[in-house]
This record gives sequence, C-alpha cells and structure tokens, in this order.
Amino acid sequence: MNVQITEVTRRFGRTQAVAGVSLETGPGVFGLLGPNGAGKTTLLRMMATVVPPSSGSMRLLGRDPGSYASRKEIRRRLGYLPQNLGYYPGFTVAEFVEYFALLKEMPAGQVPRAVAAAVERVDLGGKARAKLRTLSGGMLRRAGIAQAIVNDPELLLLDEPTAGLDPEQRMVFRGLLRDLGQRSTVVVSTHLVEDVGAACSQVAVMNEGQVVFHGTPADLTARGEGTGAAGDAPLERGYSSVLAAARSSLAARS
Amino acid sequence: MTGPDTSWDVTGGPDGVPGRAPSDVDMNQVWLGVAAQVWRRRPDLPERLAGRLLRSPGLARALVVTPSLLLAWVIASAVVLAAGTAATLGTGTPYVALLAPAVAGTGIAYAYGPGIDPAWELSRSMAISDRMVLLVRALAVFALNAGLGLVASLASGAAAAVTFGWLVPMTAVSALALAVATVARSANVGVVAGLGGWTITVLSGRAASGQFTAAVTSSALVLPYLVVAAACGAIAWCATRIPRGTP
Repeated sequence: MNVQITEVTRRFGRTQAVAGVSLETGPGVFGLLGPNGAGKTTLLRMMATVVPPSSGSMRLLGRDPGSYASRKEIRRRLGYLPQNLGYYPGFTVAEFVEYFALLKEMPAGQVPRAVAAAVERVDLGGKARAKLRTLSGGMLRRAGIAQAIVNDPELLLLDEPTAGLDPEQRMVFRGLLRDLGQRSTVVVSTHLVEDVGAACSQVAVMNEGQVVFHGTPADLTARGEGTGAAGDAPLERGYSSVLAAARSSLAARS
Repeated sequence: MTGPDTSWDVTGGPDGVPGRAPSDVDMNQVWLGVAAQVWRRRPDLPERLAGRLLRSPGLARALVVTPSLLLAWVIASAVVLAAGTAATLGTGTPYVALLAPAVAGTGIAYAYGPGIDPAWELSRSMAISDRMVLLVRALAVFALNAGLGLVASLASGAAAAVTFGWLVPMTAVSALALAVATVARSANVGVVAGLGGWTITVLSGRAASGQFTAAVTSSALVLPYLVVAAACGAIAWCATRIPRGTP
C-alpha cells in the first residue's frame, strides 16, 4: 500500500478540518469527492507532507513522514499539485518545471529530458519557452501538472487538476491520469463527479471532515439507484444520495 | 504535441528511401532528446559556482532566484550606499554606517517567505527543505550586503570603529527583519520592523549620547545586538518548522 492513513485528524484552531479519516490505497487512481469545506484539500496537504496530522498515523510509500529522513525520501518520490499553485511570472514553462525537478533533487543530468517529457505529456511543447505570464489559466494549470509529474512520482496528489481546463483538455488529462495510475498511486481531489467516473478506480466521498463512502465508482452509482436523488448522471445521483444520507445522519446525531 | 506524429510511417521501405528512420527507432524518444537540448537552460556562472559550493543544483537554483539577489536589487543597494558614501564625504556624518544595516535588513526580508515565493505551498513539499533555502538565501544576502557596506564604508574614509561597528547591528537588524517577515508571512512587514527598529535605536543612541554614530560605536550595545540577533534567529527557525496540529 502506498498510502496508509489511520484515524487521522487535523485541527486549525477550533476548526476540525479532518475528523478521523482512515484510508488505504495502492497503485491506481483514487478520487476524493466532496462539497467545498469537506476536508479534501487538508487531507491532500497532509499526504503532501505540507502539514502534519494533529493525531492519527500516516505511512506514505511505506515510510513515516514524521521523521526528517523519511519525509525527504517521500518528497523525492512525490508529485503534488496544490489547489492554489503560484507561478513565477518571469519563468518559462520549461524553467518552471525544471525548478521543481531540481528542488525534488532529481539527478541534474536527467532533468532536461524529464522536463521535456513532462511538458510534452501535458501538451505544452509549443509553449515550452513562453513566459508563464503570457499563458492562459488552463495552460498554467497544465504547467502545474507538468511539474507534478516531472519526477515520474510514485505518489501523485492532484487538487482540482481539471479546474480551468477546456473539455478537450480534460478528456486528454483523464487519459493521462489512467496512464499514470498504471504504475503510481494517484489521488485526485475534485468536485467534478464526471472526472471520477472517467478516470478513477476507487473513490471516497468526504463530508464534514469524514469519509462517508469508500468504494468503486460502480458502487457509488449503485447507491443512487431508486433513491430519487438529484443529479443528471447515475454517478451524480449516487454522490447526492451518499451526501444526503451523511447529512441526515449528522443532523440526527446533533 | 509539437513533436513528431508517431503515426507517421518511419519504418523505411525495402527500397531504402533515404531520410526514413529505421524501424527500431522510437521517434518520440528522439524528439524528447532534441527538445531536452533545445529547451535546456544553461546555468550562468554564479549558479554554477553556487552549485559546486552547496553541492546541490536545486539549492543553487533556489539561491539565484532570490529577489534581493537579482541584479536590479544589487544595483539599487549599491546606489543607496554610494549616495551614503557621497553624503558621508560631504558632511562628515557617517551615513554609510547607518544605511548599511537598513539596506541589509530590507534585503533579508525580501529573501524568503510566502509573500516572496509565489509557489510557497508547493515549495514546502519539496525534498530540499524550505528551511535550508531560507538559511542559504539569508546568509548569501547578508554576505553580499556586508561586502557592499564594507566597500562603501572604506570609500567614505570612516574610522575603523565605525567601519566595522555596524556589522553587529546589521546582524541584529537583519535577524529582526527576517523573523518578523517569516512570522507575519509578509516581506513588507519585515522591512517595516527592521527599519523601524533600527531608526529607533539610532535616534535613541543620539538622544542618549548626542552622537548619531552611538548606535554603531557604543561597545555597550554589542551584547544587546547579539541577544536580539540570536532571539530573532530562533524565532525564524521556529516559524519555519512544519506546524504541529492542535489535538
């Protein structure tokens, strides 16, 4: 298992962002669904070793991110696309991707070819020498994805990766996700149910900091059958049904 | 894709048409090799030297993109100190000694932090830790400003006590600016704290002794400066640790 999370919580002051989440996943594409504020981004940030859990235990790529040496090793083999990725406007696409390849401590001799491969995989070859300030939002997002995959990561964490992509690019990106999921563990946080249906082999639904569903997209679809839940597609109806059940359970408890 | 269309027939016919690739050549890989060379960035001399010194190309790259080490910033700092030198020579008041800590503090505040690094969140997930980047950048900015200040101070013909006296206060002002910038997550706030602290110190020294240079020549202030520098360094160190949760 590349990700083993046991009863993990995270508090920010009085706010409980993640409340006792347990997950395990190996190679494949794992979708994290949930409404805004459900705790998806915080969970992803903990997996990216940017913030530690308040309690509970995590093992990433078979290592404990709590120790410095293990955290460094995890980070070398990690790809991360934050929800709000900042850009250096004076960098070109290739320079931006190269910068993070170097910060990931890739061997310097391998960096140019890895940068070229990552830039081509996100279809930005024609813009490789363009300054980031000249790119559209969707292109910037793709540059962000390129830096995440430049080190051929074993664990790839993507927070809203398709935000800003046009429909054609989203389809291409789903193909890329499926390809990456053949060898790596890819965790994708999104609020777009169709992305999960098209690319993920497993899915978890989060609400109020907790995982309220964990299974395959087919299992999620089945949860919506015959419930009259809102949604245009079967998977959306399953998602709505799971969320509605979680909310009514929370209301009954409180 | 800007690379070759891999659906092209690259097998080469039995007639051996010139220009066609042999069947065992992966044109996609060939293109990646070409693109890697074309897009490759050639590090400049300072980056190559830093890479050798630090034994880390990544750390060297993080160092040379420091805002307060960019050429425009260095020129601006040199111009300010040159103006201080001219004023010192013209008036006899050692303005260089008073300016140098302020210039260094400003540079240090703009060396590192979420307000400076647009991809701050991403940088914090990298194998080269942000603490190491902070340390290397702060030392480099400090060393550069110390060098500029010494040249300006020597050029202005200041007495030895003044020429070297400002190095200790410069350390304290730089540490204060860095600590505040790190805690407040704002370079501007760090600059205000550094300049404000230094201005108060200089004016207090003048009020107490009647001399503008008291803040850099008084030996009684060396220990307080060092204490402030150590405390602020510790604050910056703590502020850059990975935050603990609050169970």
